[in-house]
Amino acid sequence: MERQWITARRTRSAIRMSVGERIFHVFNYLFFALVSWTTLFPFLNLLAKSLSSEEAVMSGSVSLFPVDIQFGTYLYVLSDSQFMRAFLVSVTIALAGTALGLLMTALAAYPLSKPRLRGRKFFILMYVFTMLFSGGLIPTYLLMQRLNLVDTLWVLFLPSMISVFNMLIIKNYFESLPEELEESAKMDGASNLTILFRITVPLSLPVFATIALFYAVGFWNDYFASMIYINTSELKPLQLYLKELLVHSNITYQDGGHVTNVDAVMNTTPQAIQAASILVATLPILLVYPFLQKYFVKGVLIGSVKG
Amino acid sequence: MQRKKVWVTIIAMTLVLSLLGCNNTKSEQGANGSEGGGKQLRQLMQFDRFEPNGDPVALYLKEKTGYSVKYEMLPAENADEKLNLLMANKEPYDVMKLGSAQYYQLVSSGALEPLDDLIEKYGTNMKQVISPDSWNGARYEGKIYAIPETGSGATSSNALVVRQDWLDELGLKMPTNLDELVTVLRAFKEKKNVIPLTGGKVPVHSDIASVFGLTTPWLERDGKIIHSVEAPEMKEYLTFMNTLYKEGLIDSEWGINTADKSIEKMASGKAAMYSPGWWIAPNLENALAKNFPDAKLAIVPVLKDKSGKARVGSPGNTINYYIAIPKFSKNKEEAMKWLDMKFDKDIFKGISIGEEGVHHKFENGAYTPIMPKFADERTNASAFLTGVDEKNYPTYWQARLKKNPFVESYFNTFQKNAEGLIETDPLGSAPPLPEISKNVQKLNKYEEDTFINFISGTEPLDNYDQFLAEWRAQGGADMVKAANDWYANR
Repeated sequence: MERQWITARRTRSAIRMSVGERIFHVFNYLFFALVSWTTLFPFLNLLAKSLSSEEAVMSGSVSLFPVDIQFGTYLYVLSDSQFMRAFLVSVTIALAGTALGLLMTALAAYPLSKPRLRGRKFFILMYVFTMLFSGGLIPTYLLMQRLNLVDTLWVLFLPSMISVFNMLIIKNYFESLPEELEESAKMDGASNLTILFRITVPLSLPVFATIALFYAVGFWNDYFASMIYINTSELKPLQLYLKELLVHSNITYQDGGHVTNVDAVMNTTPQAIQAASILVATLPILLVYPFLQKYFVKGVLIGSVKG
Repeated sequence: MQRKKVWVTIIAMTLVLSLLGCNNTKSEQGANGSEGGGKQLRQLMQFDRFEPNGDPVALYLKEKTGYSVKYEMLPAENADEKLNLLMANKEPYDVMKLGSAQYYQLVSSGALEPLDDLIEKYGTNMKQVISPDSWNGARYEGKIYAIPETGSGATSSNALVVRQDWLDELGLKMPTNLDELVTVLRAFKEKKNVIPLTGGKVPVHSDIASVFGLTTPWLERDGKIIHSVEAPEMKEYLTFMNTLYKEGLIDSEWGINTADKSIEKMASGKAAMYSPGWWIAPNLENALAKNFPDAKLAIVPVLKDKSGKARVGSPGNTINYYIAIPKFSKNKEEAMKWLDMKFDKDIFKGISIGEEGVHHKFENGAYTPIMPKFADERTNASAFLTGVDEKNYPTYWQARLKKNPFVESYFNTFQKNAEGLIETDPLGSAPPLPEISKNVQKLNKYEEDTFINFISGTEPLDNYDQFLAEWRAQGGADMVKAANDWYANR
């Protein structure tokens, strides 16, 4: 597929492009430049705001370039103990969740990828069933409560250890590996676990990298679970911290008529600090992307197309 | 090689997990350990952005009362959903600080403990400092289910602010009534080419509507309660705003402006007038001074109506929070004892403004904060309140205003201008009435959306009667009836 496309392109550039084609290309580039600009702009705007003085931000004079450059906001964010604690919680959840999640997902996917498993169809159906139906919020909450997971770090990653969608992608990838490899390993006396960890997993690195990214981003961005299950402030992850930072400032500004909490209206967080917090919170997961992105296309495509 | 990697991963994971495990057991031990010693309570608070358990006020309370309290907060968003989850799970809190809708919901579903007997037995301090009016506001079917927490008294929170330097430049005088206001706005538009008056989102602009007599959402007319949308003046007000809009005298983005956006327009010199809350003063003044060092803002005195009468609306000394003890609490008596201790004269003062000579000074009949100690240790004090000493709190909390000179001067000017003109909401001290709690949010939204359309002219004002009929049909009539029933038997 890929090679065909490349040769097609070569021949096209060898033969002169027609006017229509050229217009199409120019339009194409402009269009995609515009699209990438619209995604980049909010980030640049935040960056500029975080580096500008609060007065400049308040008067709306900051768009793409910082006005009255200062770095105090970053110093403030990085020395804020609540922010750092939330950051640490997020890192822990993302690392533990991704590592354990990958292990569990692979362990679930491997047997399901083997046609010799008895009742395989039934098990797969059971998994898919959970994708469509769930217990609902209150029963799930009560379950977590009975398992003594509420208000612990565990609740933030244990319940979402296996995403069925990711599991199916890995399963399909495993199925695409040649059966003969496993047979020959078996002849040499390898056990199931040895085959999984020494042959199947090393061959599946692209799909693992992709799924790892899915999990890492998922855990890093997760905010709902912590909002529902976490009461202790020491265990709040970054996204919850950010959400509170932003929502809090909004509430107090809009409640014009009636002041209920005097302290709250007078303690709103400056916009520059909000901007810096968002950037510092987003950066780590953005930095993971380039290192895993090269596996991305290969991993998901081969995993999802059975062949 | 590969095998090694797998093992490294597994070991790393085990390490991370065991670390997590350590954390959990440690914190649990902490909680259980102290339960044996002192008296342990658990309180649910409203959301605020700070860590309550390490706050100096929490430590102060622990030392003074001898109770160690574990504080937990509702989340910033979906707070009601979370509260429902906690209640479904019969979470054994001992004290809960609730908003009025939350209080009504829990009390009507039977989740709260009636407090009359407990207050009779242990509530000596609180009975003295909370007025009978407020207690009545916390009643449900004749019984008291919560301690009412009122605020800082009837104050004026908003007022028009104008660019004094432009008034001077154009030789205009400060407006005192609506005609003069229109003259000033026209001059700003023609000669300075700026947005004469910015603001928005909330279509009933309190400074202008009060000139028409629309001071509060509910009004008393001839001994009966009506909602302000039923008052004939509302149509006059909307007509007036609509002419302002058509002439371009108010912001064309009236329907979508947020407070931030309006401040931005003022600070960047694009607008001449705005009605901020006093707490926004430092942001507004600092940003403006940065951009235009010569600019000067002045606070417009309360505008008068044709007969020369001026009015300022205030919700009055309404109940902001309800402090309840849930049925599932295991320490109801201890909770009540603790709550009552917090009303002790010295302890209450200690919570609100700290110790004299350490956190505040008493000068010229007013409390002045000692900075930065006051800001460091009493910044979040109001979140810890569980009801207030209604006589003293208004003077205590004003110490907070003195943290910033702009806040202080704006607040004081607002109050001085409003002196003797304040009209309070007749329903201010009403308990949560089910018909109102159920409908008020939906109807306010409907009112807001329709009024924005009336003001901007997208819907002709001839449709006002239609709007009113729809408003009544959607629950407005029920609200008015419930309000009158309460008012007549109050």
